[in-house]
Amino acid sequence: MKLHYDASTEAFRTELRAWLEANQPTLEEIRADPMTSSAHMTEWARRWQRLLFDEGLLVPGWPPELGGRNLPPVQQLVYHEEIAKIPVERTSNPQGLGIIAPSIHDYGSDFLKEKYLKPTLRGDITWCLGMSEPGAGSDLAALSTRAEVHDDHFVVSGQKIWTSGAHHADYCFCFVRTDPDAPKHKGISVVIIDMKASGVTVRPLPEMNDREHVDFNEVFFDGVVVPRDHLVGPLNQGWSISAGSLAHERGMMWLRSAAKLDITLDGLLELARQPGPDGRRVGENEGFRDAVARAYLDTQAIWFMGYRGFAKFARGEISPEHSVLKLFGSEVAQRATLAATEALGVEALDVDFDGYGFDETFGLPPWMTQYFYSYRITISAGTSEIQRNIIAQRVLGLPRR
Amino acid sequence: MDFEVTPEQQELIDSVESVLARECPTALVRDIVESGASPEQPWKSAHELGWTAIDLPDDLGGLGLGFTTLGLVVEQHGRSIAPGPFLASVTQFLPLVCEAGSPGQLERFAVPAGAGEVRGALAIDHGRAARHELGESLRARRDGDAWVLEGERSYVLDGDVADEVAVAARVDEGDGVGLFVVSRGAAEARRAVAVDASRPLAHLRFGAVRVEADRVLGTPGQCAGALGRALERATVAAALECVGACQTLLDMTVEHARNRRQFDQPIGAFQAIQHKCADMFVQVEKARATAYFAMMALAEDDPRRSLAASMAKAAASDCQELVCRESIQIHGGMGYTWESDVQLFVKRAKTLEALFATGEAHRRRIAEVLGV
Repeated sequence: MKLHYDASTEAFRTELRAWLEANQPTLEEIRADPMTSSAHMTEWARRWQRLLFDEGLLVPGWPPELGGRNLPPVQQLVYHEEIAKIPVERTSNPQGLGIIAPSIHDYGSDFLKEKYLKPTLRGDITWCLGMSEPGAGSDLAALSTRAEVHDDHFVVSGQKIWTSGAHHADYCFCFVRTDPDAPKHKGISVVIIDMKASGVTVRPLPEMNDREHVDFNEVFFDGVVVPRDHLVGPLNQGWSISAGSLAHERGMMWLRSAAKLDITLDGLLELARQPGPDGRRVGENEGFRDAVARAYLDTQAIWFMGYRGFAKFARGEISPEHSVLKLFGSEVAQRATLAATEALGVEALDVDFDGYGFDETFGLPPWMTQYFYSYRITISAGTSEIQRNIIAQRVLGLPRR
Repeated sequence: MDFEVTPEQQELIDSVESVLARECPTALVRDIVESGASPEQPWKSAHELGWTAIDLPDDLGGLGLGFTTLGLVVEQHGRSIAPGPFLASVTQFLPLVCEAGSPGQLERFAVPAGAGEVRGALAIDHGRAARHELGESLRARRDGDAWVLEGERSYVLDGDVADEVAVAARVDEGDGVGLFVVSRGAAEARRAVAVDASRPLAHLRFGAVRVEADRVLGTPGQCAGALGRALERATVAAALECVGACQTLLDMTVEHARNRRQFDQPIGAFQAIQHKCADMFVQVEKARATAYFAMMALAEDDPRRSLAASMAKAAASDCQELVCRESIQIHGGMGYTWESDVQLFVKRAKTLEALFATGEAHRRRIAEVLGV
């Protein structure tokens, strides 16, 4: 147990920092052509992702032909630490790079790998992930989008919801029911759907914070024909792909949310220096001071828990930290942003902001907007209640009903 | 940041766990609480197996394994709420002597404490411990080469049973901190009727107690740094023992939830119970990870050490508050009884929360350090 890594790992960090410094897109470039959804590949974003790919710094644990350099786990961690510190993500299509590419890599046929893997990694194409449905949220296995199985194709009909970036995505990695008679976990398959195919309709679903800037969508499939060779993995084995897909990069995914919380915390410290609604410095407010101390402690604890989980992850053990970090991290963000809105009083009602909530290069959105956003993160990607169920049942071994 | 426990550390953890499981069952703690029995065997093992010398340098007869390894052992003590001199002697008395003592004093106090021949205690100002400060309740004045202590120190862990007590007192010069070692009996001791009877707390009254020069640690008026560093160690150790106790409470509660049946099913199948247990788990994980970070920060003398110590104590505080309350709640009526072991662990956790300042005080300290 020690605070610092060995000299060669730190040397890698220094070299990486210098490279990122020299090559990352400039803020001017980003603001001139902002990315407006999680599947919106702007020119600068594509150039950046390709550069990372060519340098072996896109998925550093993978071999060079897949945009990596076969880095050992500790250096991968250092990579993710440093990447989390710069204001731009590796990709403007995180679900494509983080979930779908690894799933195609692990489960796809040679044909699918050839056709989709490298273009995804190089930012040529973008993806949305078709999982949730109006009737299948927390109970994902209840999904009812049907894919009729024919000799050489499927016919897909149904509806997805909360589909991030669907209005910009080229393809959908879509979970569909291929055997309606099997028990619900056993009749699910994954198919790749061309979003330009006939019968696909996308309807934007703006979030409560901002009617103009949409990431979520509803996606309707009406008799969409999908070639048979676009089935990922074996027929009716989709459920294990869902578990596998979401497990990808879990060992590292927490880093960016921890880094975001660090930014929130810097915002709180800045707010402490400003005058509050009663004219006193916000930092003189006892309740606010305690909330900042808590937020700082909790944010640091997220880093520490993440690193502890990583030690297990690097050893190849399943670590419960992912659920803990997801559950705890979203609640920390909620408490921290609430404290700011309370300290600001009526000032918190002003939500004038000229930027995109999920793009850090525009600076922090108003605190009330951030607080509202925190309502999303206790729901999306597995609600807090589902995370508690997972901890209770899979970690603590309490009985399932 | 590498949180990986080394194979050597894991071996030690396993060995401490099995020795304490054998020699320090909860029945022993209950016996101490109910009949004032005194626990000889766990302490004997602790020094025979070298646990008392883990963080002592080689040249003082120690194992030189560092604070990180000691911390892991302290956590195990918390898991079985081990009674006895270990916590006060090894994590409170020894650090102060090692921070401030002269070579002769290290030979005289640290070496025998590391060998378990001397049991030590530490008398500081718990109410001001988060800021490493001392109030006015105990003062020391110069008297030739010697010093005279006048006043009192309260809630001194093992204060009436330890052989030697390291004392921090207010002095009129320099940074205001003087450090001394007095032997048992030098101060008038009164045992507090404390919530956890397996953790003896004493109030010490110093009526013009004369301390000869060879028992004065360092130079009075230039000891604030040493006191602060020793307090950081004691604080993190208290947090670790608290984490250990909370882990056992969680384990007991989950076990109970699996076995206790109501409405024809284990209560642990109810989501209301599952979610409470999950929240307890999160708090234990948070407190443990934070305490481990603090352990490393102290072991490596990292600039964040002071902040880390306060974070560890504040995280342990959050943890014990939830875990104590929900453990009793989930155990139901029986959890509230004397005969349930839950109360023994709850009382230990509450004691550790209060010693070396509460979480609330440490959060105030954190806000201060952050410049809020």
